[in-house]
Amino acid sequence: MRNDLDIIDDVRAIISKSLKIPIERLTPDARLDELGAESLDVIEIVFDLEEKFNITIPFKADEGSRASKAADGNGEMQFSTVGDIADMVKKLVEAKPSR
Amino acid sequence: MNRVVITGIGVVSPIGCTVDRFWSALVEARSGIGPISVAPTDRLTARIAAQVLDFDPSQHFDPKRANLLDRFSQFAVVAARAAVRDAQLEITEELAIEAATIVGNAAGGQNSVDESYFKLYGQNSPRVHPLTIPRWMVNAAVSQVSMDLGLKGPTYTIASACASGTHAIGQAFHMVRSGQARIALAGGTEACLTVGTIKCWEALRVLSSDTCRPFSKTRSGLVLGEGAAMLVLEARDQALSRGAPVYAEVLGFGMSADAVDITAIDPDGAARAMRAALADAKANPEDVDYVNAHGTGTDLNDRIETTALRKAFGPSADRLAVSSSKAVLGHSLGAAGALELAATALAIRQQTIPPTANFEETDPDCNLDFVPNVARDAPIRNAMSSSFAFGGLNAVLVLGRA
Repeated sequence: MRNDLDIIDDVRAIISKSLKIPIERLTPDARLDELGAESLDVIEIVFDLEEKFNITIPFKADEGSRASKAADGNGEMQFSTVGDIADMVKKLVEAKPSR
Repeated sequence: MNRVVITGIGVVSPIGCTVDRFWSALVEARSGIGPISVAPTDRLTARIAAQVLDFDPSQHFDPKRANLLDRFSQFAVVAARAAVRDAQLEITEELAIEAATIVGNAAGGQNSVDESYFKLYGQNSPRVHPLTIPRWMVNAAVSQVSMDLGLKGPTYTIASACASGTHAIGQAFHMVRSGQARIALAGGTEACLTVGTIKCWEALRVLSSDTCRPFSKTRSGLVLGEGAAMLVLEARDQALSRGAPVYAEVLGFGMSADAVDITAIDPDGAARAMRAALADAKANPEDVDYVNAHGTGTDLNDRIETTALRKAFGPSADRLAVSSSKAVLGHSLGAAGALELAATALAIRQQTIPPTANFEETDPDCNLDFVPNVARDAPIRNAMSSSFAFGGLNAVLVLGRA
């Protein structure tokens, strides 16, 4: 069973690798756009997260920092900061049916 | 220098495979977008596309010949035959050797690729169909058109993604204008609605899940399409002397590269192509009444294209009518520019501006006259058709009244 800290560490590692930014700079309130992420970087990060956690993230490049309707239908998820992304991944991992 | 006119149009489109059906759906804002049925959807997230559903290869090809042609080549050949018929053109041996054939295409024979790779990777088959390469190669469509009609002059494919069709017609225009070709068959074709290709578009996260709403504040992305349009271009003197029907005159062609981003459109590059087309047409911004825009329905394209139109047209932008046909036709990539130029030529001939369908709400960032939902009878002296491709490759044509 993964705990939250593992998820956050994995999320930070993926963003760090994609943006070539040291993990230490990826604080929860760090914004992707301020870290220099362009739209193609963001869709690659989304892809890496989906692969890593075996989840589907309802993100559309067109909608910038917003993801589309969440898998559980509870409104839109934010995709602006490192913390937002970790929260989203956590929710989606928890929503997965357990085997 | 020859003056160049369009004397024939052939279409294979999600809204019909005759010019009459094509035009009436555009004018009536009847969209060809619907649930995906040309490919299995169990592995797809995308649910909609603009598909050519009333196309039966056996109506056009005997089984032996159909077997050689991927769907994208079938579309091109059927559209080319229709264009030649429409132009009431007899292709003599003398004319054939001076006839250019130029077809725009982005993706090649994706149905053949998908089928072969499914056998190879999906079914662990040790072999694929022996005709995979001649069906798949990106020049297959233009070669099949040339063989089908016996056209023997300069013949090649242009691949510039979503601008391919416009680049192809522009090149053909320059060839006929300079006298390098007496006549040209030019246009674009695309048929890449396969599981593999749609999956790759999904991964880019630009597809709309409901429909295509160009320039509307509520737009939600692009919708993939398929189809083909082929046009007959010839010297005006020749067309008049043989009493051919004339849709419109081709006045100018402009090209540019953004040299900025592999996917995002750049306003300066797009505006430069529009200005180059106006200069080639020896026209001023105020001489243009209608623009058939690229208008994909993505947030970014439509916003930046609006900026580019303002840059290119200056104060004249406020009196332009601008519409996108992609709400009706979807985005057929390499065929899009050709289908849209066909729409633009018909608009000039009918003196009717086809609307931007599915338009719901004005976006402050897209503040031009987008002719929402309802066609407009209006004098069109000159019209422009624009294509701005992934990779920052831009192509723009200007047409005038015949």
